[in-house]
Amino acid sequence: MKKMKRFLAIALTLAMVLSLAACGGSKKEETTTSGSEQTQETTEASGTSISLWTYPIGGWGDENAVKELTDAFEAETGIKVTVEYLAYADGDDKVNAAITAGKAPDLIMEGPERLVANWGAKGYMVDLADLLDDTDKAEISPAALSACVTGEGAVYEYPLVMTAHCMAINKNAFEEAGALQYVDLDSHTWTTEDFFNAVAALYAYYGDTVAAVFCAGQGGDQGTRALVNNLYGGTFTNEDHTAYTWDDAANIKALEQLQNTDGITFDASLQGGDEIVKFYQGILKMGFCWNIAQQLDPNAAGTGAEKTITGDDIVFMSFPSETGESKLCGGIWGFGIFDNGDSARIDAAKQFIKFMCDSEHTADAVRTAKYFAVRDTAEGADLSGIWADEPIMAEYNKLMPYLGDYYQVTTGWAQARTSWWNMLQDIGEGADVAETVSTYMAEANAAAAG
Amino acid sequence: MAKQPKSAMSRALVRRETISGYLFLLPSLIFFVGFVIIPMVICIVNSLTDANMNTQGLGNFVGLKNFIDLWKDDTFLEALKNTFVIVIVSVPTVCAFSLWVSSAIYKLNGKLLSAFRCIFYLPVVTGSVAVTVVWKWMYDNYTGVFNYVLKSTGLIEKNINWLGDSKYALWCIILILFTTSVGQPIVLYVSALGNVDQSLVEAAQVDGATNFQVFWKVKWPQMMPTTLYILVITTINSFQCFALIQLLTSGGSGTNTVMYYIYYTAFKLTEKAGHFGYANAMGVILAIFIGLLSALQFKLAKEK
Repeated sequence: MKKMKRFLAIALTLAMVLSLAACGGSKKEETTTSGSEQTQETTEASGTSISLWTYPIGGWGDENAVKELTDAFEAETGIKVTVEYLAYADGDDKVNAAITAGKAPDLIMEGPERLVANWGAKGYMVDLADLLDDTDKAEISPAALSACVTGEGAVYEYPLVMTAHCMAINKNAFEEAGALQYVDLDSHTWTTEDFFNAVAALYAYYGDTVAAVFCAGQGGDQGTRALVNNLYGGTFTNEDHTAYTWDDAANIKALEQLQNTDGITFDASLQGGDEIVKFYQGILKMGFCWNIAQQLDPNAAGTGAEKTITGDDIVFMSFPSETGESKLCGGIWGFGIFDNGDSARIDAAKQFIKFMCDSEHTADAVRTAKYFAVRDTAEGADLSGIWADEPIMAEYNKLMPYLGDYYQVTTGWAQARTSWWNMLQDIGEGADVAETVSTYMAEANAAAAG
Repeated sequence: MAKQPKSAMSRALVRRETISGYLFLLPSLIFFVGFVIIPMVICIVNSLTDANMNTQGLGNFVGLKNFIDLWKDDTFLEALKNTFVIVIVSVPTVCAFSLWVSSAIYKLNGKLLSAFRCIFYLPVVTGSVAVTVVWKWMYDNYTGVFNYVLKSTGLIEKNINWLGDSKYALWCIILILFTTSVGQPIVLYVSALGNVDQSLVEAAQVDGATNFQVFWKVKWPQMMPTTLYILVITTINSFQCFALIQLLTSGGSGTNTVMYYIYYTAFKLTEKAGHFGYANAMGVILAIFIGLLSALQFKLAKEK
């Protein structure tokens, strides 16, 4: 018994020593790690390894597709690219945490609202002006380029692709309800009057919610903003992008009309992604959170282009307006470089941008994104016909002329988005529209004023 | 003469055991200090500054400004109110329900008792995301089982937007919190009831005590330490309700809580000046409330 106790004591002591050693070892390991980090930094300093964090921008969220591009880049330049795939749900949190910890990636792929108006404005990004010569400036769409440049002329994003966000309808449901007469299937446009007539016809036929002004969060809010702004010609910000203006009479009229229309629900349990699911399932007959990527692969479910899960046809539509000619919210995506203070890595990152956005490889990068190129040619390579063999893309191109002002770069954007969906929730619960709009817009403008 | 060596040996033994004790404690202590004490100190220090993600270091010292601003912040006050509603509703119901279930099942035979314990403990060991997703399906405005059943039975005419209507959303969250919180108290109460001194129970019965009197005068005092523990952990869990809010409502529909608002301010509202300091100030206030309520519970239980 005594021996047993002694053995147990020795075993426990050993365990304790080992656990202490493990703690101490972690320090040693840390040293080793920092050693390896040092080695890594040395190799990175020579420009052979850089990191890219990308949001799910079409196929740029698909590991296999991106690997083909990064492999091609490595083969040509010898620079290895480590890719991390972010989700919109928590991507910003990860990037912000990385910035705070001084561990931001070399490259990031997203839109000007993050790269220019947020991280760029705070001084975390590298000015890419030297990547843009006069030819580039002439080739890139002025609307896309201007969104990537600050008022002071700094370029914090090199744009690659763009699209116009739109809405979608369930063609079969419209046919059954006799609402197809209100839709111009050729031009993909309709008027405000047609829209409300279609909702009335659908509601009369189905007797339930046919469209949801989703407001559970900010996800997909470009849809609800575009809907409200276009119905009677309202605006979201001023032209200078210095203040929010969504309390104009046109927006208030639109919100009141939506609030009082049977068949339309202000749904505080849905965000954009949830609404896409309900539309894809055939529950909702219209979807306000749509774009070409959804049209090609609804709900990213891989069940066939332009089809709901039940096989109904999906038709993309411009948002309704009084004239039928809307101002659609744009999506512009490209690359930015975080200023990590290492010129070799910054140079390597610039090489990556040049490779993807302005070379003979740009066509592949654009095809991967499944959006439209922001330029017609890149270093002599013609990009205007890259979607010629894709009829859906060619048809969707009809909406591109309606691309409106890229106001997402307005200061206080994070607060404005939160104020917007909170406002919609209150309106959905029956609050006075004018008063509610005024309260929440003031909140956004306070953030814009800093 | 014979006593002295023995006493010296005892002292040496005590010293050795003490050193061993502290050495065994050391690994845990390192983690406790590193991951609890130091972050707590950093939180308190940050709450007195305008620290944010855009400035390196601690930021500027602003005194109690963050705390003063909090009492003028309507969103924080609403979140605080919601948090207290959750605590006030959830803590007594969890305790009462688990006591009731435990009283009903603790005398059952081994296998049946284990089955009940498993059933009630299952939501505790299941990942909170999985549990929340299932509840989200059930609450769904369009295809959820609750609306289906209520509509089929004619109790409602139109679907209820459970998570999208501020009349219902907070109560839906409390219901989920309830189901995930009762497991541990039931297991603890079953164990506590099993450990009640039977001789005292029998003596009371011989003296003519009713079942209620036996429970209230004999069993309940013996279960007081367990009750206190359950009250404290349920209170802390309720105060820290976060995952459910984040996954189901993002703080909308009148469900914002202090924990969610801390996260939102610290990591989402990065444009707000001094957002880290402000979020830390909320954390300090939350910790003070939890500490005060736990102290009150300890005091009441001690008096009892």
